[in-house]
Amino acid sequence: MLYKKKWPLIIFVIPGLLFMLIFLYLPFVENIKNSFYNMTAIIEMPGTKWKFIGLENYRNLFTDPTVRVAIWNSFKMMILTVVFEVGIAFVLAVLVSNIKKFQQVFRTVYFFPVVISATAIGLLFKLFYNYNGGMLNQILEFFGKEPVNWLGPDTAFAMICVPTIWSYIGFYFVIMLTGLSDISDDIYEAASIDGCSKFKQVFHITLPMLKPVFATCVTLAVTGALKVFDLPWVMVPNGAPQGSTHFLGTYMYQQTFGLGNYDYGSTLSLLIVVMGVLVSWIVGFFTKERD
Amino acid sequence: MKNKVLSVLLVSAMAVSMLAGCGDSKDTGSNGDSGKKTEQGDDAGDAGQNDVTLKTVSMFGGTDPNVAAYEEINEQFQKDYPYITIEDNSQTSNQDWKAAVAADFAVGNEPDVIQYFTDATANTVLATDKFVTLDEIKAEYPDYAKDITEVALKATANPDGVNRAVPTTGYWEGLFCNKDLFDQYNVALPTDWDSLVTAVETFKENGIIPIACSLNAVPHYWIEYTMLYSAGVDEYQSVPETAPESWVKGLEVIKTLRDMGAFPEDTDTIDDAYAGQLFKDKKAAMQLDGSWYAGGVEDAGNGDTTVVVAFPGVPDQKAEANTIISGMSSGFYITKKAWDDPDKRDAAVKFVMAHTSKEGIQKYWEATGKIQVTAAELDAPSDLSVLGQSAMDLVNSATATALPTDARIGSDPYSVITSSMSQVSVGSASAEDVLNEALALFKELDAQQ
Repeated sequence: MLYKKKWPLIIFVIPGLLFMLIFLYLPFVENIKNSFYNMTAIIEMPGTKWKFIGLENYRNLFTDPTVRVAIWNSFKMMILTVVFEVGIAFVLAVLVSNIKKFQQVFRTVYFFPVVISATAIGLLFKLFYNYNGGMLNQILEFFGKEPVNWLGPDTAFAMICVPTIWSYIGFYFVIMLTGLSDISDDIYEAASIDGCSKFKQVFHITLPMLKPVFATCVTLAVTGALKVFDLPWVMVPNGAPQGSTHFLGTYMYQQTFGLGNYDYGSTLSLLIVVMGVLVSWIVGFFTKERD
Repeated sequence: MKNKVLSVLLVSAMAVSMLAGCGDSKDTGSNGDSGKKTEQGDDAGDAGQNDVTLKTVSMFGGTDPNVAAYEEINEQFQKDYPYITIEDNSQTSNQDWKAAVAADFAVGNEPDVIQYFTDATANTVLATDKFVTLDEIKAEYPDYAKDITEVALKATANPDGVNRAVPTTGYWEGLFCNKDLFDQYNVALPTDWDSLVTAVETFKENGIIPIACSLNAVPHYWIEYTMLYSAGVDEYQSVPETAPESWVKGLEVIKTLRDMGAFPEDTDTIDDAYAGQLFKDKKAAMQLDGSWYAGGVEDAGNGDTTVVVAFPGVPDQKAEANTIISGMSSGFYITKKAWDDPDKRDAAVKFVMAHTSKEGIQKYWEATGKIQVTAAELDAPSDLSVLGQSAMDLVNSATATALPTDARIGSDPYSVITSSMSQVSVGSASAEDVLNEALALFKELDAQQ
């Protein structure tokens, strides 16, 4: 027994538990309840009574075309984050771990975008993509080309993905690098003596030994993709153009705070949670260690 | 024993740090200037008055030109009444802010004074019955709202016909035109649909954006005017069960204009500020906007190269030429919370009177370029810019006036229309479906109130 008396531990745990209970779990339960009512305001105003509408909001989820767009965009974003965020982070981590000089510099440089606020990054890229005098169109005009509406219906989704993915590569890069540092040099040394090239070492030593780290990164990436909100909202608010760039988070926000459709917003937020849990479970199932 | 002491110390430290943020902060001046408040408290003690902290909220936030006047009046007010501290939380009015205001009223966290809407937008907070009526206040303070004209008071009565708010200025909406661009390309200012089409085509051919507008963010003025001109004043001001054909035709005009290339290429993704900047930078020839926009045009040094004209019209219009959207739809309210507090009652009345006196209204009027409709009778301006003169002509030559759609159906149903305009403008959503959805929501909300 590490501690004979448990009460000091309980005292320390209670504030955090209360905090979570009051600010997370109670609102979550309230949110589920709200999704069954027709809310006329964000809170039941004195003198008004919300009508119970049962599963109507849940039925609307299946007929609302924007929900389909948002789910599809969120799904695409999940795949892209796993492939590019985690993938590029892994390549960079392997490369950086193999250099001795300036490793700290690379760590800082790659991690830096993570500490910049998403709003700032969104505004920055919005300026790059600007139709009238934006950086990309200035380059095109320099070469005598016509300006492009980068955030037009055909290209907007791809243009949003670029900063969304770029800004979080550093996060996974640091996790990967930490994971790589846990692999003993002796294994690589033994492999080298046996004639295994650096390239082969990546596939036969690094990848298998980083599997738990990969599992964590992929889980974080896919659940993070489900919560994407700030960058798209800054760059293309309200799912612009024509609702084609809605993600579940942006659509939920627009419905709740833009259109005052609080009950449907509650339903959408529940959908995000359910999908998050489901996706985490699926990722966990495929990445868990088997005997 | 040592562990027990350590545990107790740590728990105490945690409890103290958690409670530290729960203190009642009275040290905020109108701009969050805590030092200022302490000084005021000392002065108040000298004067023998009870310290009063007045929680105020207004829509004068962000880039609104009224902000300067609002803050100037507040500063002067605090100098005149050192025992009163203003704890102000003004923000630009948008859906988020309206939701936050409604929530505050519902949970009893309403401010003492609020400058808010008087039309159907206010229905949610009016339902809480937390405002004092003008009659009640005037019974005790006969000089309250004494400078406000009868017309202004009538315009700012709440939907139930009761006056609770005291207005300052009103608004109008019109088509701002860069006159220098019209002269440069030898185009006549638009006075009807055909001349509007000619202007759009000419500017398009010459690489000038014909109309600066963000259909994704603020298509409001186009929605209001196309529906008004298509339906005529009476039908426009009705609240039907389903969308009349004229309303649908009105919204479809926006698609026609978009197909002609009247709006910026990136109208779906730019915000309203950026659209305004395109106009001020002379990259766009026209912009449909409200009187609040004129101050920014003057500040950009374009007061003598810009004019504002009445909305030109739509095909087969029912509204008479020079019909404008204009009115007053906001004012200063005092809440019962302040009224029932003996110290706050007087402070709140003084605060509202400072903002709604002739001098106060004069400040708002000057801050917005001397072109707003005012709630008090002010002296006619002598030094008007070209824009100011055209605005005065616009108001004086108006053949009829109407309030915007949200004044009747409220902001949430209206948001259904505004949020879908981008889709309607490319034909991916039907104008009729969107209007019917908004009207159905209005009916539903109305039934529950």
